[in-house]
Amino acid sequence: MDRQGQNGLLSTFREGWRSRQASAWLIAGLLIGFYLWLYFEDRGWFPESMKLMDPAAQAVGLRNRWFLYGFLYCLAMVGGAVYYLRRHGNSRYNQIRIAVNLLVQTLLAFTLPFVMYVFTNQDFYASYLWPLKIEYLYPQTLEHYPVYIAIYCVLAALVATPILALTLGKRWYCSWVCGCGGLANTFGDPWRHLTSSSTRSWRFEKVTVHTVLVLAVSLTVLVAVDFFWGASLPRYHSVVGELRSLYGLFVGAILAGVVGVGLYPLFGPRVWCRNFCPMAALLGLTQKLGRFRIAVKPDMCISCGNCTTYCEMGIDVRAYAQENESFTRAACVGCGMCAHVCPRGVLKLENAPKGKSLPVVG
Amino acid sequence: MNIVIIGNGVAGIEAARTVRRAQPAWSITLVSEESDHFISRTALMWVVSGQLSHRCIEPHERDLYRREGFTRVRARAVGVDLAARRVLLGGGLDPLPYDRLLVASGSRPRPGPWPGSDLPGVGSLVTLQDCEWLEGALHGGASHAGRPPNPDAHHGSSGPTSPYWPKPAVGRPRQAAVVGGGLIGIEAVEVLVAAKVPVRFYIREDWFWPMALDARESAWIAERMREHGVEMRLGEELVAFEGGERLEGVRSSGGTEPADLAVVAIGVQPNTEWLKGSGLERDERSGGLRVDEHLRTSDPHVFAAGDCAAVRWADGSVRPEQLWYTARDQGRVAGRNLLGEDAVYARGPWYNSAKLMDIEYTTAGLVGDVPDERTFFHEETGAVHSTTRVVLSGDRVVGFNMLGRRWDHSVLVRFIEEERSLDHVLDHLHEAAFDTEFVPPLVIPAGGTAGRRNDDNDDDRPRGRA
Repeated sequence: MDRQGQNGLLSTFREGWRSRQASAWLIAGLLIGFYLWLYFEDRGWFPESMKLMDPAAQAVGLRNRWFLYGFLYCLAMVGGAVYYLRRHGNSRYNQIRIAVNLLVQTLLAFTLPFVMYVFTNQDFYASYLWPLKIEYLYPQTLEHYPVYIAIYCVLAALVATPILALTLGKRWYCSWVCGCGGLANTFGDPWRHLTSSSTRSWRFEKVTVHTVLVLAVSLTVLVAVDFFWGASLPRYHSVVGELRSLYGLFVGAILAGVVGVGLYPLFGPRVWCRNFCPMAALLGLTQKLGRFRIAVKPDMCISCGNCTTYCEMGIDVRAYAQENESFTRAACVGCGMCAHVCPRGVLKLENAPKGKSLPVVG
Repeated sequence: MNIVIIGNGVAGIEAARTVRRAQPAWSITLVSEESDHFISRTALMWVVSGQLSHRCIEPHERDLYRREGFTRVRARAVGVDLAARRVLLGGGLDPLPYDRLLVASGSRPRPGPWPGSDLPGVGSLVTLQDCEWLEGALHGGASHAGRPPNPDAHHGSSGPTSPYWPKPAVGRPRQAAVVGGGLIGIEAVEVLVAAKVPVRFYIREDWFWPMALDARESAWIAERMREHGVEMRLGEELVAFEGGERLEGVRSSGGTEPADLAVVAIGVQPNTEWLKGSGLERDERSGGLRVDEHLRTSDPHVFAAGDCAAVRWADGSVRPEQLWYTARDQGRVAGRNLLGEDAVYARGPWYNSAKLMDIEYTTAGLVGDVPDERTFFHEETGAVHSTTRVVLSGDRVVGFNMLGRRWDHSVLVRFIEEERSLDHVLDHLHEAAFDTEFVPPLVIPAGGTAGRRNDDNDDDRPRGRA
């Protein structure tokens, strides 16, 4: 095998469940239903008899529905990884990346919290960082964790993340570590071509993703102020409490869960990551200043559109490739698919020192 | 100023965009028989398999024509009246007046010279209509993403002799044949393999793509095709397509074998027959329009660019360059000259890349028929399978043929232009590496020297260092 490039043609647009046909809508409906139950069955909106998740978790011996969700998440990722590697597994980059994704998910995001809960009655997801896991910088959260976990949360979010994003790009997190990205690149991979690459969708993304980032940062500041002075400001304290729960409802449950995963079969697997994730927004801004880029080999692009079609973040890669422009886009999560499907080997992900450019001849 | 461009392929569109950038007010009309939108012709194979949709192979957003103020005419151009400066359209449509004209009408598939070449079931893979024909035969029609917009808009002005006329539909084939051992041939093979149709691949020469590959390299590609179940018919000359109502069999020098679908891929020819008798000078041998270094034809108001223009190559010969990137460059030069500039089209050294089944291929410079030719050949086995062929003329490196890895051709071209020695090139080859991350780098063991090429046993030499 050649360790890179695509092996065999795909039949993407000839499969109804991947082409917004009835079966795709059905899968979306099931996913949305699943998330509605997961997030809302204990909010008192449903009658007791309609609860599904907690009883199911208890039936299989898990403590609560979040462990059941974690287990199903791992299962979906393993199944999706098999599907993904059958199609794109001849590439070394894909093999290693997906293996790391699975390890992070099963060890850091499932086994570790599971074991920890048994001993400490607390759980901690080491692969999720602020501002994606917004409460991991709330002083209220940090004071309840053992001190080494609190230090980890602060250093990982504020020191390690920007350094890694500057040297390796956003990808170190979004397509190697993050659980949302991991699910998108495994279970969600069959639908990656459905992400819109239109200019309109790019404009939308820039507004929404940065709005959520501003909200996340503001809320963190408000919550921190509340921690130190909230006791003397009862009205402020209750407003901040409301805001926290609203953010959790709209961003955490609706945008990340119901919309983010529920719409996989209709709008691609990165709806959340591209349009709403505050972590992705922050990493994207950092990436623009760093070394990561997609290098374009000059005058070899045939404008076929495989790169643009299979970009899960809706980047019109072809627009750069056909103009011989190496580029860094804030949205790019570095999944490597554009380079993988390019039939002419025009594209290459790299971490090049700023200013270094390809020698251009002729 | 009134600009008319025949063809909205890459040459035509690039010329139109070049003119528009400098002249926001000029009238620009693009005439296309084939399609509403500029498409990447090189991507048709993926549309057939369903890897891409018809929309995916349009390199620009669909509002390009509105945004840039291009007038689009979907019709067949049937001639040019040079004296009156008018383009004649088929179907009784009003002629289009022009001040400056660009002919960028591209190529059409070279028809098979064999009896039965017009039988239903025999086609090619060059035009959008060929693509739709093959989609119909293999998959019963377009993918879920739908057909291209207004596929029939040209019917009123076109006819059955046009390469853009719909081919008669045929049912799903039980056995397919592909004729012609070149790039489009192997693309057709891939598409048929992906659709799980048994394929026989008829190649007149002794090995696949002798124009580009040597026997060792080609043997690897053939091996890969056989692994996918392709029956290779090497060294077989086609005699006839046989059948009554539709194709039933293929007769070759090796005998007659059944086939109910055949893709003829024996090259393309300039789409200039409609200009016979117009007074524009054509190169008789190739059929391309004769142009000077400004891409101007024999008429000062008419330019030609892309596959239909016979340009002067680096080696001095005059013939069309049927390549994507040269058509794009020619379109840009033609655009500047439509603006009244004196831009010169200068052909650089040859390079190209492709993917043969799943094997990466890059070439640069001259790899055959070189005076005092010597060859360095290295086959890498193990984690990565690749071949590296460096061709020298005397002590000077003049060409590269690389399989199994990705290379930046611009660095290879630089080695050639700097007239480097083999030692220098092997020492610096890593600068041209363009493999994706985590692919182990190519290591060529020290002590490799270029042997004099031994032509008489080239064909069956075991693969390994020469």
